Amino acid sequence: MSQDSEPRRGWEPPYIIPHRYDNSKFGRRIARDNCCHHIDGVDVEYLLSRYGSPLFIASERRLRDNVRRVRNIFERHYQPVIHGWSYKTNYTSAICNILHQEGSWAEVVSAFEYEKARHLGVPGNRIIFNGPNKGRAILERAIHEGARLHIDHIDELELIETIAKEQNKTVPITMRLNFNTGYTDPWNRFGFNLESGQAHSVVTRIKRSTQVRLTGLHSHIGTFILEPRAMSEQVRLMCQFMQEIEADGKCTIDALDIGGGLPSRNALQGIYLPPEQAVPAIDDFGEAVCTALSKGLAQRTAPPPLLFIESGRAVVDDAISLASTVVGTKQLPDGRAAAVLDAGINTMLTALWYHHPVKLTKPKPGNPVDTVLYGPLCMNIDVMRHSVYLPPLAVGDQLVFNPVGAYNNSQWLQFIEYRPPILLIHLDGECSIIREAETLPDLCRHDRLPAHLTSPGHVP
Amino acid sequence: MSAELANILRELIEKERLSALAVSANGFAFDPRSGQSFTVNHTGVATMELLLANHSIESTVGVLAKQYEMPTDVVLGSVEVFIRQLARYLA
Repeated sequence: MSQDSEPRRGWEPPYIIPHRYDNSKFGRRIARDNCCHHIDGVDVEYLLSRYGSPLFIASERRLRDNVRRVRNIFERHYQPVIHGWSYKTNYTSAICNILHQEGSWAEVVSAFEYEKARHLGVPGNRIIFNGPNKGRAILERAIHEGARLHIDHIDELELIETIAKEQNKTVPITMRLNFNTGYTDPWNRFGFNLESGQAHSVVTRIKRSTQVRLTGLHSHIGTFILEPRAMSEQVRLMCQFMQEIEADGKCTIDALDIGGGLPSRNALQGIYLPPEQAVPAIDDFGEAVCTALSKGLAQRTAPPPLLFIESGRAVVDDAISLASTVVGTKQLPDGRAAAVLDAGINTMLTALWYHHPVKLTKPKPGNPVDTVLYGPLCMNIDVMRHSVYLPPLAVGDQLVFNPVGAYNNSQWLQFIEYRPPILLIHLDGECSIIREAETLPDLCRHDRLPAHLTSPGHVP
Repeated sequence: MSAELANILRELIEKERLSALAVSANGFAFDPRSGQSFTVNHTGVATMELLLANHSIESTVGVLAKQYEMPTDVVLGSVEVFIRQLARYLA
């Protein structure tokens, strides 16, 4: 039992922890390759030593491969297909421009996102403008610049008509629909409802308008959809509605937008099966959508409508990793091991609803034990993983979470910590920072101190 | 030091519960009676070595406190908890 050969370690309370084995048909899962030494051939430990921890690491190669694969899957069955890059999923400028270079349009949902797309150089006529809050100023600009407007509610429609009249234009619009596919919870807060007749009555109203022209239909039935038949039913309902409203010859639909919602190989909390088994291949969704589309358009004489897909998560999630470092370890009262990391839900908010796969950067001795991974926040909910089998961790151990590319670099919180940098590994293996780490001046830039508050030590 | 704790330890040693536990250098432990395996940290391994070498609880605490340059009362509290853990898992 001697440990003379090991370097002297410091004091910690002695403990003995029984190994627990999962009572599931999959047995206890310890991956043989439980380490992530490299990303795209670049040593992760080197990156952390050079750029600091925590660090987001993006793979340009994976990102380009993903978007090509998603688009090709749909184009194999149907053309023309346009991919709209969902800015909200990750609007880091370099990420957006990689996807724009691949031919993706910008799919934006707010004035900020619209302005960001334009700032990056995306022309207005390659922007899909969704979202329930489009103010007058940004709508004026979007109409002037020829963006595709997706209307969410009747007040927005009236505002567009007003602006169109002022600009002496007839504005093509796309109408967002909501309905129940029977497979997912309906997202009925967005757009106009099909079952209630609301969508039909709005179409009647639009047909009478001289300022707007209905040219597109849009729906987005949910997020992280695990059932391809849901999207098949979505397309069937959209095609049926299109037939109904085109029947009088007063409108022609030139585009169907089926939104996003395609899943990534992430582990959603509450799903029993591992992602390899729970998440269907994107091919299955492509086939389901395009088969339904072929059936839905079989009797139609007009040219086939453009098919817009707004997949975000399936394109970016596994292209970005988060590398983090253990800053402390402890044993919980129930005997489980725990580690405190330098990245928490402030950095990776999606830990609230995913069991993100996590690996060490190098193998460690010791039998894997049930471990809780905490973040650095002073909040009880700051848990990166509630339960993961890892060898006993020590300060300085480095861990890599992947996939983390979706919704973290847009939803991360500036709460008590600086947000870390994002690094991009280029196609040729070179690396560059694509978003700097935050600094104190960044965070204080918007503060204003009235004259009597410029000093913390003087009471007027 | 409670007499109760000394009794717990004596029982673990006399019934060969502690000596039967196979412990590897990296802290992997196996109890052949139950088939249960465990992870023991390095101070746990050191404590078990001392107890199996017939050190009393006081003596074990003294050796550990000196070896790790820790206050005796801190080590004593931890060792007491550890012995109760051993009793829970090995009894």
